[in-house]
Amino acid sequence: MNDCKEEELLCDFHIHTTYSDGKLPLRNVVDIYGQTGHDCIAITDHLVDKTGLVGKAAHSIKASITENNFNEYLENIAYETKRALDKYNMIVLAGVEITKNHLSKNKSAHILIIDIKKFIPPELDYKKLFLEAKRQEALIIAAHPYHVLGLDKETLYLWNNRNRYAKYIDAWEIGCNKDLFNVVSLESYPFVANSDFHKPSHIHSWRTLLYCKREVKCIKKCIKENTRVAIKFFRK
Amino acid sequence: MFVLVFFIVVGFIAYAIEIIALRSLLKVKFSSSYTPPVSIIKPIKGIDDNLFDNLESFCNLDYPQYELIISLSSCADPAYKVAKKIKLKYPNRDISIIIDDSLYGLNPKINNMYKAYISAKYDTIIISDSNVFVGKDYIKQTVKYLKRNEVSVITNLIRGTRALSLGSLLENLQLNTFVACGMAFLNTKTNISCVVGKSILFNKKDLEEAGGFWFIKDYLAEDFMIGKLVKEKNKKVALSNYLIDNVNEYWSIKKFLNRHTRWAKMRWKIGGAYYISEILSNPVFLAFVGLLIFGFSKAAFMVFGGAWLLKTILDYYVGYLIDADIKVFYYFLSPVKDIIMGTVWFVPFVNTKVYWRGKKYSIGKNTLLVESK
Repeated sequence: MNDCKEEELLCDFHIHTTYSDGKLPLRNVVDIYGQTGHDCIAITDHLVDKTGLVGKAAHSIKASITENNFNEYLENIAYETKRALDKYNMIVLAGVEITKNHLSKNKSAHILIIDIKKFIPPELDYKKLFLEAKRQEALIIAAHPYHVLGLDKETLYLWNNRNRYAKYIDAWEIGCNKDLFNVVSLESYPFVANSDFHKPSHIHSWRTLLYCKREVKCIKKCIKENTRVAIKFFRK
Repeated sequence: MFVLVFFIVVGFIAYAIEIIALRSLLKVKFSSSYTPPVSIIKPIKGIDDNLFDNLESFCNLDYPQYELIISLSSCADPAYKVAKKIKLKYPNRDISIIIDDSLYGLNPKINNMYKAYISAKYDTIIISDSNVFVGKDYIKQTVKYLKRNEVSVITNLIRGTRALSLGSLLENLQLNTFVACGMAFLNTKTNISCVVGKSILFNKKDLEEAGGFWFIKDYLAEDFMIGKLVKEKNKKVALSNYLIDNVNEYWSIKKFLNRHTRWAKMRWKIGGAYYISEILSNPVFLAFVGLLIFGFSKAAFMVFGGAWLLKTILDYYVGYLIDADIKVFYYFLSPVKDIIMGTVWFVPFVNTKVYWRGKKYSIGKNTLLVESK
């Protein structure tokens, strides 16, 4: 018997707040998504690898969560999770966007870790990082893995090394904000589509539709199996 | 310069009279035990700011008997999901969702809510826009006007709230000053009825006798026409001093300009000569024109600065009267809004076409619509 009875869930698994470089505080972001009828979102503020110059710069302008405020970050998300469920019947998941930025786009990668429970040092090498996320039963999503419009955040490392890392990755972003990456479907990789929300105008962007029960375990299973998944461009 | 200063002074006197009308209206108090069952129609298209909370505020009203009908033209509308969530959250409330994509006329809002109007259970109907948030005693404080002096249509004072962007701030300043004072003055001191679609309570029987929804389906300003029709049947329109909140959080400047250009075109087609007088009641814009005409002279600057300061103070006072949530500092932007609105005022003279809900129309007398290509 299938214990994950189907509903159509409007989801966004890539959202930033003022904990990193988002323009709105956590509560406002949760309300924007609740007011617009979303069913499941993940808060994924940047957790920046500070081994390089670019990473150090991000930390100096407080565009990253740190080990020091990580528990507070999780606690606040937990509070919002309860509030959002009571008020909007919306699931809020805690996540991070592990951010490995380098001057070269070919060395840069952003990785969404969804349903994270404990701090993961972003400086870990890729394999260790993925294994730690798996140990926490978190989802691993490759964020904007291919060329995007504009030059500010190209992150091609995972795509260029997909033969080595695809086995660890639960899904790849096939759509991010207003971009689409058809290479993901050409490789038949599991996919999701997200907003990469930083400010209110980003609400008009790609979303994932999941057809599963409104429960965290079913949502994660649905993404991993990736058969009952669709994407939608969301407009208010 | 003298003529200019004269008109600026006249403008301020006119605005002061409007403020006095608003102040008097807000002081009116009376109670009534009249509580007929009410059907509330919520026509929705797309997701307005704060939509979930706005709809939810209509599920928590302190009133003996009412139904809430949420009407949409398509279940593909993203607001449909929000409407369904509200219905699920309040299973014990009388809430129905009606989807109807029929084209009864040219006004898309009438098309959207026509079936809801037909399906309404009760004779007392409220039409309320989806961007409206109300307090628990909204119906009680509005419906009580029905039994007074042959009143058949009641509209409410509007207060713009929760601005979190520049476009929203300008919108709320306009609603809380020009619109609030104008509505109070026109409805209480003149014979002109200013009915605004954000909240209209009316008696269905009276409207039907005057032609009903079918008669107004091709008019852009269906709210104005509802008031006009019942007045022609010797019934009255009243303005309730119960403030309803129009929540505008993340508006762009473009959205602000689009709405007020459309509203200006409607006022021109409805008001005619009265519309001309609007520019004379915009003293900041007149002072700004003076600044341009007199080549930024010291005297012109002084007049402009004085007008700016005085208008800021008056607008702050109006905000205080209606308990607006705009911070004191932002009232200094109100004259900027007046200059923008002064410029928008000219638009209807060169272009009477409107884009509304994805379609283009020409507008004629009393805002009768003709679809344009």
